[in-house]
Amino acid sequence: MTNDSTHATSAEVTAIDSQARGPLCVLLASGLAWLVISGVLGVITSIQLHTPGFLADCSFLTFGRAQALRETSFLYGWIANSGLAVALWVLGRLGGSPLRVLNWAVAGALFWNLGLTIGLIGIGTGDMTSFGFFQLPRYVQPLMLIAYGAIALPGVLAWSGRRTSGLYASQWYGVAALFLFPWLFSAAQIVLLWAPLRGTLQAVAAGWYTQSLWSLWLAPLALTGAYYIVPKVAGRSMPSYDFSSLGFWTLVVIGGWTGGRHLVGGPVPAWIATMAVVACSMMLFHYIVVALNLRIASHGSGTAIRFIRFGLVAYSLTGLLDALSSFRGVAVEWQFTLLATALEQLGLYGGISMMIFGGIYYMVPRLTGRPWASGALTSGHRVLVSLGVVLLIVTLAVGGWTQGDELLNPKLGVGTIYTQLKLSLMIGTAANVALLAANLFLLVNFIRSAVVCCGTSAAAESAFRQPAALEAHAS
Amino acid sequence: MSAPLNSDPRIDQAAVTDESLLSVHEAMLGKQPDEKARYKLLPLNLLFLFSGLIFFAGTYLNRYSGHFDPHIYDENAHPVKGGAVAAVAVDPVVAGKKLFNNAACNTCHMANGVGQPGAIPPLVGSEWVTGSEERAIRIVLHGLQGPITVNGANYNSAMPPFGRVAGSGFNWSDDKVASVLTYVRQEWGNQAPPVTTAKVTEIRTKEGDRKPWTVDELQKIP
Repeated sequence: MTNDSTHATSAEVTAIDSQARGPLCVLLASGLAWLVISGVLGVITSIQLHTPGFLADCSFLTFGRAQALRETSFLYGWIANSGLAVALWVLGRLGGSPLRVLNWAVAGALFWNLGLTIGLIGIGTGDMTSFGFFQLPRYVQPLMLIAYGAIALPGVLAWSGRRTSGLYASQWYGVAALFLFPWLFSAAQIVLLWAPLRGTLQAVAAGWYTQSLWSLWLAPLALTGAYYIVPKVAGRSMPSYDFSSLGFWTLVVIGGWTGGRHLVGGPVPAWIATMAVVACSMMLFHYIVVALNLRIASHGSGTAIRFIRFGLVAYSLTGLLDALSSFRGVAVEWQFTLLATALEQLGLYGGISMMIFGGIYYMVPRLTGRPWASGALTSGHRVLVSLGVVLLIVTLAVGGWTQGDELLNPKLGVGTIYTQLKLSLMIGTAANVALLAANLFLLVNFIRSAVVCCGTSAAAESAFRQPAALEAHAS
Repeated sequence: MSAPLNSDPRIDQAAVTDESLLSVHEAMLGKQPDEKARYKLLPLNLLFLFSGLIFFAGTYLNRYSGHFDPHIYDENAHPVKGGAVAAVAVDPVVAGKKLFNNAACNTCHMANGVGQPGAIPPLVGSEWVTGSEERAIRIVLHGLQGPITVNGANYNSAMPPFGRVAGSGFNWSDDKVASVLTYVRQEWGNQAPPVTTAKVTEIRTKEGDRKPWTVDELQKIP
């Protein structure tokens, strides 16, 4: 292991980083493994869309289950593990002292991933629930809730026991994400699984969970890293920072109200969908503030900030399209088409995942005390994953655009419509293969970087330049 | 300062320290946008934008919420108020009692309908009240003047016209006339059939505007 005294000479890499190395690498390794697994499942489901016979006689991997497996491993495997790793690290850095009780995080990560594995086996054998983003069988959910608490504990302690004065936007978002997920997850468990609501209320609760998971957990988790890394790398203070708290509170207060946007035209009272339309529009304020604050990302250079820049553009675009597509006139064509899938991928892959990638690229050299093992794999991952995401979203959107029109045309059979979509769906498979390959690059690169640092560690310290102090300047 | 040139893709150099990042942004939060009377246009625009969004949200919600009615599934529907509006039948005795006691009747005939000896005839057990409805309706519509004998006793006074006729200070609708007549015909032990609005209308249309009746004129009417 690295000798701490050598770290002390560099203000950029300190004991905060070296002591967190092992636990955070456990989280990161699990996250990346799940990313690759969900990538494989993504390829499978994507092939099944244009070649329905593919693996159709394997009950474990029929489309419905494979799709749920892909989604669950992506959200609860990749984003949860890696997003939490980045958030914990940022909270530790900003708290000014090494993260405490990291063994809890390790134990939590082990049980979280154990629960997830059992849950995925459960989904494969037919125990999945019927709710989007929430397919894990109910018997693993309490375990995962407790495990989450253990992972989050170091982050909460870093925030409550911080040595620094004042709070920074990254900390608001990070702590909000840590606290809001247990609330969402436990409330949804009670009203959907243990004492299920009846009738249309169930759909309302499920919609609330799906949207809240996005706006109250995934988004703040990703923004934790973005708000920290962008000014650090760009070397500028944040423009319109005085509005960032308003942007934050808009997300926290309004975010959960967007749940009814999937119920437009559904069997629910009109006001639920109307409220969601209004909430989606109000959320524009959050996205605008985030875009204004983080527009300094255009100034930095390097791997991390390029990922985050991509992520921020996609994130803002998601907000805009979310508001637009929630309106009833648009939703009537948009719902149940590939456009909705495209928007979901734009948010989850283009927005959240790209920001987390940026966070990982920035964080890992500081944890290991040395640069990433391979520059080629780093650049290769960045280029391939960007191309893959753009290709995936554009083809899905183009396919969905015509699909929405055609589905409303009573003269066209569903079979005809899907035959016409075949080209789009095949390009989508190519995009999924590109994403899988890209993420394999990242996994290999991470393993090599992590393994190297377990050996000796003398040479790498000089890799980090001494950062200067940030000057306040009008922007 | 300038951002470091991150030419090596394997590592991202930090330009600034954590401590300065925290302190600079903390200082920015407390600052008022119009400090030293220098307005920054951006915060102002953001405020306008935020207000605009709230205004839009309120308007849209008001227009398409279906008044938050759990039974309205169509955002363009207008709520119906608790079933169709139906005319509720009013008990003429109840309405008549109200009119009798709140208008002028009880000041002369008294609330218990006994009248005043020599001046105002009683309504209790009066053959004029429980007898011909033709006469009773005419009295209430146009009034009565001159001497009258009720239950063998003589009375002499004037009753003003109550119906919707010329010179009436009350202008009661036919409905009200019918109600008050039904009330006095069925109260205090009187037992006469009710008077209908249609009958009142018929007589009012037939007689039109005229001066108050006298007993002689009324006795020619059956």
